[in-house]
Amino acid sequence: MRKLRIRFGLALPAWVWLLVFFVVPIGVVVWYSFGYKPSIFSTNANDKLSFDRYVEALSPTFFATFQNTLWVGIAGTALCLIIGAPVAYWIAVKCAPSRRGMFLALVMVPFWTNFLVRTIGWQIILAPEGWLSHALQFLGVIPGPLGILNTRGAVLLGVVYNYLPLMILPLFVAFDRVSGPLREASKDLGAGSWQTFFRVTIPLAQPGIIAGVLLVYIPLMGDYITATVLGGAKGNMVGQIVASQFQTAQNWALGSAMAVLLILTIALSIGVMAAIGWLVTIPIRRSYRLTLEDAR
Amino acid sequence: MAHGGAHGQPPVRVLANATSARKIGAELTRRGFLATALAASGAVLFTACAPQKASAASQANGGPLEDKLSIYTWSDYDDPDLLSAFTKKKGPKIVVDAFNSNEELVAKLVAARGTSGYDIVVPTGPFILPMAENGLLERLNLDLIPNFQTMNPHFIHRTFDPKNEYSICKAWGTTGFAYDKTVIKRELTGWADFIDAAQNEASGKTSLLDDPAPMCGIYFWSHGIDWNTTDEKHLADCEAFMTKEIAPHVISFDSAPGGQIIPQATAALVQVYNGDARTGIAASKNPERWQWVLGAPATEIWMDNWSIAKGAPHPEAAHAFINFIIAPDVQVKQMDYIGYDTGVEGNQQRAEEAGLENLDMVFFTEEQIATMHEGKFTKAQERIVAIWNATKAAAGA
Repeated sequence: MRKLRIRFGLALPAWVWLLVFFVVPIGVVVWYSFGYKPSIFSTNANDKLSFDRYVEALSPTFFATFQNTLWVGIAGTALCLIIGAPVAYWIAVKCAPSRRGMFLALVMVPFWTNFLVRTIGWQIILAPEGWLSHALQFLGVIPGPLGILNTRGAVLLGVVYNYLPLMILPLFVAFDRVSGPLREASKDLGAGSWQTFFRVTIPLAQPGIIAGVLLVYIPLMGDYITATVLGGAKGNMVGQIVASQFQTAQNWALGSAMAVLLILTIALSIGVMAAIGWLVTIPIRRSYRLTLEDAR
Repeated sequence: MAHGGAHGQPPVRVLANATSARKIGAELTRRGFLATALAASGAVLFTACAPQKASAASQANGGPLEDKLSIYTWSDYDDPDLLSAFTKKKGPKIVVDAFNSNEELVAKLVAARGTSGYDIVVPTGPFILPMAENGLLERLNLDLIPNFQTMNPHFIHRTFDPKNEYSICKAWGTTGFAYDKTVIKRELTGWADFIDAAQNEASGKTSLLDDPAPMCGIYFWSHGIDWNTTDEKHLADCEAFMTKEIAPHVISFDSAPGGQIIPQATAALVQVYNGDARTGIAASKNPERWQWVLGAPATEIWMDNWSIAKGAPHPEAAHAFINFIIAPDVQVKQMDYIGYDTGVEGNQQRAEEAGLENLDMVFFTEEQIATMHEGKFTKAQERIVAIWNATKAAAGA
């Protein structure tokens, strides 16, 4: 009993934190989402409850923004994984251990600058009259001024740039944990380097890969700074319309309904991704389970 | 509560303050304690922001200035040299924060209920009366602002605040557009041309103001409809037109395109306020490629105002600042920086004598002003904001 009490005592700060800053605010948002906006100078009221705000939020005009957001979220996370995995693997496995700290520090360098400032930097680089556009035109790569700013492509570039470190760091930890002796053992047992990578390193690094994907995907779906700065009218995301409901329209009920829908979209898409991942890896898991048992 | 009775009666004033303080305190506790927050229905939570008449005259009475001053205004709307000159001369250190629309300003003040910490706010004319009625603004003490006498009579005693109880003109301007002559090679003269160019040469290169009323104004002004209409048929037509005919051609929504869009030529057709257009064109590497057009046959006239937020922590400094910033001797510097007339008597003459450039984008003739219409705060306000939201969503589809 006392042990249990001590254990609970240790977890208490975390529980209180979660309750106060997570569970309750989300509860308030859900509660507001069933209300309505009574007048211009009040933000919401809950004396009549309904699902009307959800109907509004799912109308064709806003639904397109949800689709757009999902596209940016999935494509951005996939790109971060494709770019981040080799980098993390190289730092963890291939580069000299004495230099690892330096390379990790270099991955972190962008975080020293404010998120917004970094993103506005891209706005200047990508502008049709910016230096990149002039350079590419001079080299004959593109015929006219660069037209990427204020498109979904620019948002994708921005989110990959902004969230890449969040992918590299957990992947590095994961690859680092698959220690050298394990890989050597795999080689001793006759596996080539590709086989070792796919049958030993990747399966053991799986928790890190999942952590990286979640760390990038979830904040990316709610991001509105990158889309505001780089997306213009074409690259808008749900975060922006939620912000404008709270800040400009002052319609907390509709903004809350949109926020709840965004949470549901994220949860549902993660569920779908997990299911796909589980289905896809069935044959692989079968084959290496056999291999490991054979090795034993 | 009748505010007349409270005039000059300190006990009443103290009582009112104590009441609001208690209310604010109660709100904070409510927000802090989750159980209560969950239990408290939205109705209870938000009755606190129901209309409260200002119960007393402005708290400033000519006492010593506080050491700080916080200003919540439109972006890049004061010459920074003048802000530091005020600090140097009078003492208070100034902190400036920016909003994008009146709605955003109101949202912040409503949510803070007198605890926003802002002293000076800069709402546009039609918002003054409803904000004052909803207890968001403090009354001005004009005795502390002797330079009020130097204002151009055109820009005082306006319909939205006939006695200047809550506001003094900060700047006024209008809405038009700028176009890139290297992309649009014909002459554009009004909103009908704007729409035509947006659908043709400037498709995918058109920027609109990120401000609900003037954005919807494009439809009303070009179709000869009063832009203050509350007729649902007109509003529905406006929504259909903006989301279907305009949104597909829009590349960005920006209330300050003079900052990036015009200098970087990110768009070729840009809806813009006159002063911001002037700034943007001057900052362009090749100003010759840009042409400014005043909205026609009709457009808006807006007036932004110096006001003091309810519960302002530094009211003496706020009054001293307003008096400082409307003094005739600082107007040329301020106008050259922001590109708008500040409404002080003799401004045009002063600007001409100082040789400021592009004054046709700062001052307008009587005939031009006759085509400009003031926006009103109507019951269609929320509808206009909804159209603006739908247009932005449609542009991204």
